[in-house]
Amino acid sequence: MIDVALASLIEDMIEKAGADGVVEFWQRVGDNLASRMGKEAYLGWTSFNVAVREARTAFSIEGEVTPLTDMAITDVDGDVVGYLYAMRQCCYVPTIFRTRFAVGRMSPADKAVTDEYNENVHNIAVCNFCVFHERFREEIAKNISVSGNSLACFLLATRGWSGETKISSKNVAQVNINEDHMRALLRNYECVYALVMRGARIKGER
Amino acid sequence: MASESRMPESNPFVEIATHLFLEDIAAKVGIAGLNNYLLSLAKNLAGSMPKEEYTTWAEFLSALSTGQSILSTFEEVRPITEHCMSTFHSPFERGWREYAKRVGAFAPVHREVAQYYNHKVRPTAVTSVHIVLHTFREAAAARVHVGRDGVRYEPVAAAWVDGAVQLPEGPSLEALLKRAGISRTKLGMLMRNHSDVWLLEPA
Repeated sequence: MIDVALASLIEDMIEKAGADGVVEFWQRVGDNLASRMGKEAYLGWTSFNVAVREARTAFSIEGEVTPLTDMAITDVDGDVVGYLYAMRQCCYVPTIFRTRFAVGRMSPADKAVTDEYNENVHNIAVCNFCVFHERFREEIAKNISVSGNSLACFLLATRGWSGETKISSKNVAQVNINEDHMRALLRNYECVYALVMRGARIKGER
Repeated sequence: MASESRMPESNPFVEIATHLFLEDIAAKVGIAGLNNYLLSLAKNLAGSMPKEEYTTWAEFLSALSTGQSILSTFEEVRPITEHCMSTFHSPFERGWREYAKRVGAFAPVHREVAQYYNHKVRPTAVTSVHIVLHTFREAAAARVHVGRDGVRYEPVAAAWVDGAVQLPEGPSLEALLKRAGISRTKLGMLMRNHSDVWLLEPA
């Protein structure tokens, strides 16, 4: 029930600190949680992807994550430096339905925080939880190393519970993935992100 | 919450994030401030849910046990007597287990705010989530009418996932048990495998 109550809390916080204050608050919570998750190291992408599939990584806290091993990201030398990862269901969707059945409708506070983030930080959020979520992933990626290289996370595409989609042109270009591929993935998944080795010179990076 | 309910289970990650959110609030406003936030969010949640009316107490008890009442939206409620209710599992159990597995030990602030609540409001909280639970049930009960009467909630005992039990001592417990229609032994039996025992009566 605390997940449903969260919307009431956010309403209260918007009154006190504004939607921008809640965005900052959520980002700080993302930092704090990531800092408590500890470091991880993997010998290579195969062992990391197996760990993701078996829900052993810090990313697994979010729910079931699928490594899209047919969607490798390569560097200028043709070496694999990353992969795409996707979640079939957004973590927040059960809460949205629980709110629908418990309260009757989602609080307008959810949209206020989402809009604030999209306008002023990164136009990728489909609910207030994306604000926390994106920062959390970026921070935990720094604590995970694959073949001795720490990772960077790029949130690429999201699909909200009512069907609206967002694709981050900036991040899609960064990892050299075609937006049409993203649209195809969004038919099956609600959240798609890339994990790449930090500092890699990605082939075709725009 | 009844099995036929359409309510899906929450993703525990959202609960973990909310706990971290509360910890961050506590770092800013202190224990007393966090207590106020918890009271306020539970009252707001209950206040945003529809009011209810029932013709008879039996109809109300039936709605409670089939998950149709505001008071059984988030938890499975089993009436023990006409006025004594029990909850099998805390609605926060999955979140706590996931927090313990993925993040580590629960931050001490959750127990500290419960102690503050026990001292200031009533001695029935083991951890921060009980403040939400008790306040929500109290505010939700106030939105229910049975016949011409309102409904009043009072907690009897709460147990946390780790087995810690919090209940009032001495005469106040005896008075609560009498109103609930159960003995001290029966309460002990219930607390062995239930998370909460509470009282609902006409106001």
